[in-house]
Amino acid sequence: MNTNEDQKWQDLLLHSTPTFAGEAAPPYGFVTGTLARLRTETRQQEEFERIGWRALLASLAALVIAATVTLSMNYMDRGGDFEPGVRSLVQMENIQVS
Amino acid sequence: MDEAIDVDGCLQRWKKGDESAAEELIQHLYPVISKIVRTHLPRRDDEKDLVQEILMKTFSRLHQYKGDAPITHWVSRLALTTCLDRLRAQKIRPEVRRADLTPEESDVFDAAWLTGSSPDAGDAIAARDLVDKILASLSPEDRSLILMVDLEGRSLQEISETTGWSISKIKMRLFRVRPQLRQMIHKL
Repeated sequence: MNTNEDQKWQDLLLHSTPTFAGEAAPPYGFVTGTLARLRTETRQQEEFERIGWRALLASLAALVIAATVTLSMNYMDRGGDFEPGVRSLVQMENIQVS
Repeated sequence: MDEAIDVDGCLQRWKKGDESAAEELIQHLYPVISKIVRTHLPRRDDEKDLVQEILMKTFSRLHQYKGDAPITHWVSRLALTTCLDRLRAQKIRPEVRRADLTPEESDVFDAAWLTGSSPDAGDAIAARDLVDKILASLSPEDRSLILMVDLEGRSLQEISETTGWSISKIKMRLFRVRPQLRQMIHKL
């Protein structure tokens, strides 16, 4: 029974074979349309890359500025009489130190 | 088939921005992709859009092509994966019943199964629709596997190269799907 059903399945596939055949050449306008889409996507890709590089450079610049400011403030604060924890306590409580 | 055009030359020219190279590649790859899309997707799915989508993927991933196998093999795999993704996205797997068949499909069914006679040549489309309906209840991978084996007569090795599945996985799938297919046909 299985063999019989398999054979009939093969017969059905055989009859539908012409509908599975691919086209030898693209239809009219297909290549032009595909090339236009390819051009657009390539342009978009380049644009995204450009934007990406700009964003990366801007982030790096911001990072360098932040690091410079932090380091310079740290350097300026180093000259006090107290340890950093004590100094902040003094500043917070506004204690008069003579 | 790859000898028909200078694929390496085309790729080099395309990398330098030569659009005529892209046109040559499209002309070269179109029949291969068209055949895969027509085989692995149901007849009414929008074929042209999908062929174009596969070509877009091909160009955007050309840098991944190593050149160790013909480009048609590489593109075939990409095309098949895209078709399977499309089938998975559809998700609907209706079980075909006799009442769902159109009169033409019923005629083809009766001719092929019940009387054992050959359907008319003009019934190819009805036969294809019937094949699509029967295969629609299988998973996308099983559907494609059955078509590669039964329709295209491909060897397990060839299927393995195209799909990336191991031979044992293919055998296991076939072993599982055959009774399923027979059962569906039997129910009709």
